[in-house]
Amino acid sequence: MEMKFTTKNVNVYYGDAQAINNVSLDIPDRAVMAMIGPSGCGKSTYLRCLNRMNDTIPIARVDGDIRLDGHDIHSEIDVVHLRARVGMVFQKPNPFPKSIFDNIAYGPKLHGIATKKSDLEAIVEESLQKAGLWNEVKDRLGSPGTGLSGGQQQRLCIARAIAVSPEVILMDEPCSALDPIATAKIEELIDELRQNYCIAIVTHSMQQAARVSQRTAFFHLGDLVESGPTTEIFTNPKDQRTQDYITGRFG
Amino acid sequence: MFLWIAVALLLIIMGAYYTGRGRAVSSVSGNYTALHSLPSYHGYYVALWAGLPAFILSIIWFFVAPQVLEGIVLSQAPESVTSLPPERLQVFMADVAAIAQGGIPSQVTPEREAAAEIYGSYLSVSNWLMFAVAISLAVAGLTYGRARIRPRLRARNSVESMVNLVLIICSTIAILTTVGIVFSLLFEALRFFARVPFTDFLFGLQWSPQTAIRADQVGGSGEFGAVPIFAGTFLITLIAMFVAVPIGLMSAIYLSDYASNSVRSVVKPILEILAGVPTVVYGFFAALTVAPTLRAWGGSIGLDVASESALAAGLVMGVMIIPFVSSLSDDVINAVPQSLRDASAGLGATNSETIRQVILPAALPGIVGAILLAVSRAIGETMIVVMAAGLAANLTANPLEAVTTVTVQIVTLLVGDQEFDSAKTLAAFALGLTLFAVTLVLNVIALRIVQRYREKYD
Ligand SMILES: Nc1ncnc2c1ncn2[C@@H]1O[C@H](COP(=O)(O)OP(=O)(O)O)[C@@H](O)[C@H]1O
Ligand SMILES: [Mg+2]
Repeated sequence: MEMKFTTKNVNVYYGDAQAINNVSLDIPDRAVMAMIGPSGCGKSTYLRCLNRMNDTIPIARVDGDIRLDGHDIHSEIDVVHLRARVGMVFQKPNPFPKSIFDNIAYGPKLHGIATKKSDLEAIVEESLQKAGLWNEVKDRLGSPGTGLSGGQQQRLCIARAIAVSPEVILMDEPCSALDPIATAKIEELIDELRQNYCIAIVTHSMQQAARVSQRTAFFHLGDLVESGPTTEIFTNPKDQRTQDYITGRFG
Repeated sequence: MFLWIAVALLLIIMGAYYTGRGRAVSSVSGNYTALHSLPSYHGYYVALWAGLPAFILSIIWFFVAPQVLEGIVLSQAPESVTSLPPERLQVFMADVAAIAQGGIPSQVTPEREAAAEIYGSYLSVSNWLMFAVAISLAVAGLTYGRARIRPRLRARNSVESMVNLVLIICSTIAILTTVGIVFSLLFEALRFFARVPFTDFLFGLQWSPQTAIRADQVGGSGEFGAVPIFAGTFLITLIAMFVAVPIGLMSAIYLSDYASNSVRSVVKPILEILAGVPTVVYGFFAALTVAPTLRAWGGSIGLDVASESALAAGLVMGVMIIPFVSSLSDDVINAVPQSLRDASAGLGATNSETIRQVILPAALPGIVGAILLAVSRAIGETMIVVMAAGLAANLTANPLEAVTTVTVQIVTLLVGDQEFDSAKTLAAFALGLTLFAVTLVLNVIALRIVQRYREKYD
């Protein structure tokens, strides 16, 4: 399996508190990598290292070697470019208070991917198609994105991320604010997207990890306890802590 | 006298509290759970019965007694006094009261002294009577309240509805005062419009309110066209906004999205100090520092700048409003959720792109509201323009000339000796009413906008 991200000895500190200890993990291309673990164990923190979102937190400090396609994301890739290549979907749907069209067109305009109206329209349609939202919104592209339902908003956010043609999509508990039906839609979508993207998803639901991912990494108290093919982690964990977590002995 | 009444009432109220409490406790022989309300509420209950009626009586007495006293004095006054015109009679009574209470009267005449004699004697009767009535009312209230204490008494409910009532009365007083001010403005303004047609006032281009007070004076007939004044106000407000809006907005953006916490913790208080500078200080800063400097600069490049100019007043007023704009804008910018900043950053936007394309559009309604509030402050600002803008009602768009504003004209119309029913004086009320209407509308619109915007993100 070809690796998209390789990370070695990643440490993250919030002020004096260390949130991630020496995590080394590789993330495969064209597959879904799930990160599970009890809350507060540093899953989100690790995920945010991958597109340098931790830079936006003044007290956060990241060290370690993180490479995208073999290039160091801190020294060899500009952060603006990195974030165009590594899109992110957040826990709570966060569409801009703009029209559906402008939400999707935001990224392409920023990066100069499309300037002509017709090109933009094509990108918007394609992204919404990929996010499985086109049929629901094609008649009201001008209405505000904030007016959609929670599940639609989250798919809008996925479409917005897709619109800049990223190679990687990071998702931080994308379904935690959604109802079961909307969740099922997003999971279906993730399964389709994996054909073309590298996807890393943080989830607190082990069932979800089992359903959507090919590989799973288990975090505990800032440590990466173990990682490997999802089936293996769930049926035959090597570490006692993993075993305890997936059998529900602590959460 | 009032001091003694207050002290005595306070003592009775304290006594009432402890009596009520004690009686409630003993009525259930110490078994608190048998009481409907906590013992302290029984205390407050009796205290309210003791204090409130006496307090209300004292207030009423305070306002009614002087009227009654005046009536008594007048009924015993000679014909020469009772036939005085109302304003003179008012002065007369004020003098009488002053003499009787050892104050400083405007003049002392035998009539006044005689009247003061009567006034003084009735005054002390009134005071003693008030003392006696207030105290007996308090004691009676205490006794009554105490007699009503029993375990099932819903003391907390009664106390809280009383407190509720008091709060309502207080807010009603504030509202009534406002209504009163509006009506007095309206009333006096109507008297003005009875002399000067409304359209002349609103659309006239000449403002020279000097009218002859005596027939032999050369004073002109008086022109009350307010357009030059409105124009001057508008010009100065515009200049002030040109200063305050960009600087205030930029500093708000800097503070909310660029400054580190340490910088923020220093800069914000400094801006707030700026907001605390008394406007009169800004006023003489404008008149004594900025205006001469502008004049010198203008002179050096061949421009003729008046020593009192719209520019000087507007610039300084703008500086005064900066903290107002910046702190309101800072609030609305901070109210834009962090998740939108994250979303934008996650798509590869730089900080400034995020601000321009996400934060500002999202915060725009709130910012517009903040600016409108700032405009209404600028329009109502007085001290700076009185000191630095000038008095001449020029109809000009040139910021280098002296102009005058609504507030300045109100001040000049009312300062000094006035006849209170001349058109000149009444014009101030018409101007005040206009000012009030404009700022009211601006404030209502601004608050609406800000509110609607807040609802969106809560
Ligand atoms: N912005 C922050 N400032 C300080 N500490 C943080 C911040 N974000 C996360 N942390 C801390 O880092 C640790 C890991 O948090 P996080 O990565 O959010 O965990 P998870 O996503 O696994 O629930 C927690 O102890 C949390 O308190
Ligand atoms: Mg998390």
